[in-house]
Amino acid sequence: MGISVFIQMIIAATAAAVVYTLIGATPGADETATIAPITLILILTGLEPVVILTFFMSAIVASKLIDAVPISVAGIPAGVMSTPMVEHAQVLKKEGLADVSIRKIASGAIIGNLVSVPISLLLANVLVPVANVIKDYGNIVFFIGAILLALISKHRLISLATILPFALLIQGLRTLYWEIGNVKPETNVTTSFFLAITIGPAILSLFELLNKEKRRAMKTHQIKEIGLKKEIKMEGLPNHFKILTKKEIGYSAVASLLGSIVFILSPVGLTIFFGELFAGRVKDPIKKAAIAVTCMEALAQATYISGILIPLIALGVPLSPVAIGPGNHLFNAEPVFNLKYNMHHALSMGDFIEATIFGVGIASIFTYFIAVKYSRSICMFVIKKVPHEAILGLFLSLVLLLAYIDGGLVNIAGVILIGVVAGVLHRLGVNYGVLFMILYSAPWLVSVIK
Amino acid sequence: MKEKEENNIEIWDDLVEIKDLVKALIICIITTFSGYFMAPKDSYKPLLFGLFGAITGFIVSCIIIKPKRKFIQEK
Repeated sequence: MGISVFIQMIIAATAAAVVYTLIGATPGADETATIAPITLILILTGLEPVVILTFFMSAIVASKLIDAVPISVAGIPAGVMSTPMVEHAQVLKKEGLADVSIRKIASGAIIGNLVSVPISLLLANVLVPVANVIKDYGNIVFFIGAILLALISKHRLISLATILPFALLIQGLRTLYWEIGNVKPETNVTTSFFLAITIGPAILSLFELLNKEKRRAMKTHQIKEIGLKKEIKMEGLPNHFKILTKKEIGYSAVASLLGSIVFILSPVGLTIFFGELFAGRVKDPIKKAAIAVTCMEALAQATYISGILIPLIALGVPLSPVAIGPGNHLFNAEPVFNLKYNMHHALSMGDFIEATIFGVGIASIFTYFIAVKYSRSICMFVIKKVPHEAILGLFLSLVLLLAYIDGGLVNIAGVILIGVVAGVLHRLGVNYGVLFMILYSAPWLVSVIK
Repeated sequence: MKEKEENNIEIWDDLVEIKDLVKALIICIITTFSGYFMAPKDSYKPLLFGLFGAITGFIVSCIIIKPKRKFIQEK
């Protein structure tokens, strides 16, 4: 590797860490909407693939790690993934332990990275010989994943009942787009559908606003009060092995390990399941909350890293929720990458290792430092200066733009339709993980049940 | 003051006012799509300009709209 590529990698990792620390601190800023388009732009500019992967790895680590701040300090979820953590972080916040919460979450993230990077690299190598078998059965695995996540979720029956109809909606729209020529046959519109599910609850609320009676009923006297301590005590860079108890380190390491192995399942579904599973064993409410946030963050990081690295290194096709969602363009970005030639083919094992170490390493150190040191100023800024209206406006317009790019004007209506349906289902108790797995298994499912 | 509060609604775990929300949505959608369509039509430029448009809309919305959250200083 030349020295110039080396310097580019460092610049890419640093830039991603800085930018996504800022973006990630904004509540509601979803990773897929913010990372996928910028990755695509970088690929199309013709940068070295290894530099792009470094950027991507740094971006996912930074944007997940900084979630610790809005969750712990303001009790606002930073995106879909962190929603399950909010309730536990609130317990710590009420006890005046917001600073502890930030440190625990940030340290959980570091553990998730430390465990999942070697495991993913190892697992990817083990899977290379059987890559073709996995590719053949990938779609079935997605379907089994949907059922599995439905079974382990709180609302089993409704989740199971959702699988077929929702798959039909997704695949029906895709087929329509092929039919009217907006999308090339066999190209599955995915990114914008993914975002439609993410933004579903918000789209549903916006639709309700169009109904006069509903609108009247939605108006509230409540004021959202957000309390902040005058000062959150934090000195220097703490050793994260001291921040976490032995139990927390153990649990989050095990959670990360399990999360890395089942990389094909939705990170959101896993975070909820494993987080509650591990935390459920603890009686003391504060300790329970601490373990829950630590494990959930470790898992989120681990499933993200394994979900991108394993399909990239071993398979060359996007066969995990992360690879289909935020990482899709690493596999598919015409005219640079397609399923016959993408990052899997362009990079050597050494490249993968270097990009991962630089990306994950630089983002971990930088974002950890920012999260621990400047959490209060970041939250103050967001609370006082960033209106929720602007966040919704930004997010919705990004989703609509990506919808337009994916499938033309008609897909804007398609995305709204999926959003409304996903929003209703979500309100009925179907969790995001199940909905995402249905999205991934839809092509196979519909081909089988006809 | 009270009348104003009654116009708040909760979407996605935080409060918004309907008028401000409509403003923000219109501003962001217009800036995003004008960026996209006005960009030179090659390779990544439309997407890049679209993203710039979105960020511009976001910043404008941040300037003209006041957050509805109430901040309390805890001791």
